[in-house]
Amino acid sequence: MSGAESTGQTLPRRAARAADLPPPRELPPSLAGDPSLPYAAIGRELADLRTQIPGVHGCVLGGVDGLLVAHNLQNAADPNDLAALAATTYGLGRQIGLRLAQGGFQQSTVRNEHGYLSVYAVSEQALLAVIGEDSINVARLHLHAPGVAARLAALLADAAADA
Amino acid sequence: MSNLDAALKSAMSIDGAIGAALVDYTSGMTLGVAGGTGEIDLTVAAAGNTDVVRAKMRTIEMLDLKDEIEDILITLGTQYHLIRPLTSRTGKGLFLYLMVSKSRTNLALARHQLRSIEETLEL
Repeated sequence: MSGAESTGQTLPRRAARAADLPPPRELPPSLAGDPSLPYAAIGRELADLRTQIPGVHGCVLGGVDGLLVAHNLQNAADPNDLAALAATTYGLGRQIGLRLAQGGFQQSTVRNEHGYLSVYAVSEQALLAVIGEDSINVARLHLHAPGVAARLAALLADAAADA
Repeated sequence: MSNLDAALKSAMSIDGAIGAALVDYTSGMTLGVAGGTGEIDLTVAAAGNTDVVRAKMRTIEMLDLKDEIEDILITLGTQYHLIRPLTSRTGKGLFLYLMVSKSRTNLALARHQLRSIEETLEL
């Protein structure tokens, strides 16, 4: 039995807004499962990030819709879960950017007791998530990963232009 | 002016100083930078030299020397780079990084001055 029920009080709720919301944004088709993407080149970029920076366990390229595009994880973590978590992080960052008028999402890092998860914006549609161990040189990651994200963005843009 | 700004300012007053930074070697991030030039990005230098400090600390540990780094000197063709980990309790995990021009500095004096800056730096 919850506390609210036992005291007879109702918890405050956010009231539904009047139906004057703008129509939902037209979204481009998901990147996930697109056979025209240059997977080999994407894989090379992800492998480069993993080998260049000691302490990177793996990288995941996902869509902002939370669906997996490519990954090079080798441990037990599920890449589909990480793509979803990256999109969740992006969602929070995007809302903060909107509320504070700070512009688009760029990067978010979560540090836990035994490691890091950093999420970088690749394009309007894609995110790069990097899993690092606790001892990673996170400043070096932050210097290196935006370059990888920019190259991934160029690869995705080329694929979209060709399609 | 904070103690950190004052320390970086006095590091930059060492003859021939090009740039100075206080760096956290657990993350590679800088707590403060001073100087530097258009070509020299001190945040890049900090991240790179974090790996230098970590490698040396690991080596000392592997050799079971039960000692610590007092300072590290890196000699380039035209520059000296000095790395000095902080010894105070509040400075644990940090190091001072100083780049000086080889032709315009007195290395012994620069090293001595960096030591006194490190000793007086309280965070």
